[in-house]
This record gives sequence, C-alpha cells and structure tokens, in this order.
Amino acid sequence: MPSEPLLPLELIDKCVGSKIWVLMNGGKEFVGKLLGFDDYVNMVLTDVTEIDPIEGKTQLVKILLNGNNICMMIPGGDGEEVWEE
Amino acid sequence: MSTPEQEAKPLENGEGEGGDPSGFLTDILGSDVTVKLNSGIVFTGTLQSVDGYMNIALEGAREYLDGYAVRQYGDSFIRGNNVSYISAGKSPNLKN
Repeated sequence: MPSEPLLPLELIDKCVGSKIWVLMNGGKEFVGKLLGFDDYVNMVLTDVTEIDPIEGKTQLVKILLNGNNICMMIPGGDGEEVWEE
Repeated sequence: MSTPEQEAKPLENGEGEGGDPSGFLTDILGSDVTVKLNSGIVFTGTLQSVDGYMNIALEGAREYLDGYAVRQYGDSFIRGNNVSYISAGKSPNLKN
C-alpha cells in the first residue's frame, strides 16, 4: 500500500522536539531544537545558534522566530557542519 | 472519497508547555527580552505586550547597534513586520 503524501506542515510537525536548520531569505541561518510553530510558520526554537554570514555565530537560549523571512527548513540539519566545510 | 482516517488530522504544533508561539509569548510576557529586527538593530526591554502581527510594546527599551547601546527609550512600540526574532532574556553579547 503506497504511503500517504506528507504535507509540508506535517513534515514540520514531525520535527517538533528535534533539531532543525532554518535558512532565511537574507542568507542568515538558525540551527536549534524546534519546540513549536503556528500557521504562519513562526517558530519557537531553543538552544539556538544564529549564523550571520557577516557577524558570525550568536548563541540564544530560546527565541520566537518570525516566519515572514523563512525560506527553507531542513529537519535534523546542522548548519555548522556545512558552514565549516 | 475520503475516509475519516484520510481527513486532515489537526497538527499539534508542539502545543502546550510554552512550545507553540502563543504559549511562548504568554510565558515571557512581563520579563526581559531581546528583540532583533531584520535590519540588524537589537532592542532589549521588558515585554509589555505582543499581538498577532508581532507588534511589540517594550518598556525601558535600549537600542543596540553592533552590540553597543546607542539610545534609550521609555515605552516604545515596534511594528511587527520589522521583527526577526524575540528572544527570552537579555543577550550576553550586548555591551552596557
């Protein structure tokens, strides 16, 4: 039996509680554990690393990230590994 | 034809224990927060209120540019479209 297609928001819902990697429109990135999100894909993240191409990395305990500028989200991704390659 | 199982099940979104966005906002209301705008400007202050647009009312706001305090305000209003993120607590990277 073929499996049901997974809707985009269902994919994000599966990631709640695990580490994700978020790419923003301006080239900025966030890596952290996803605690929750809403219909606009605003996200609550904890143990966050903010990666700015110019300013570098900033550690943040817990944030509410505005969904407006989110471009892409990679489950289980680790931006730092890719960053250092 | 859709069976009941195929109907969209409501997503939980990490609801409860301050996990979803509205729960998180309720948790941090009245405490010190750091707000970063898309322009890179950072504000700290006491979070008085937030609405669905992420419009923010801050009390005792301080404005930081490149980590250094540049201005102080009393009560201030930040229009939500400019907000990149709201962080609980004051960021350690900010000077004075």
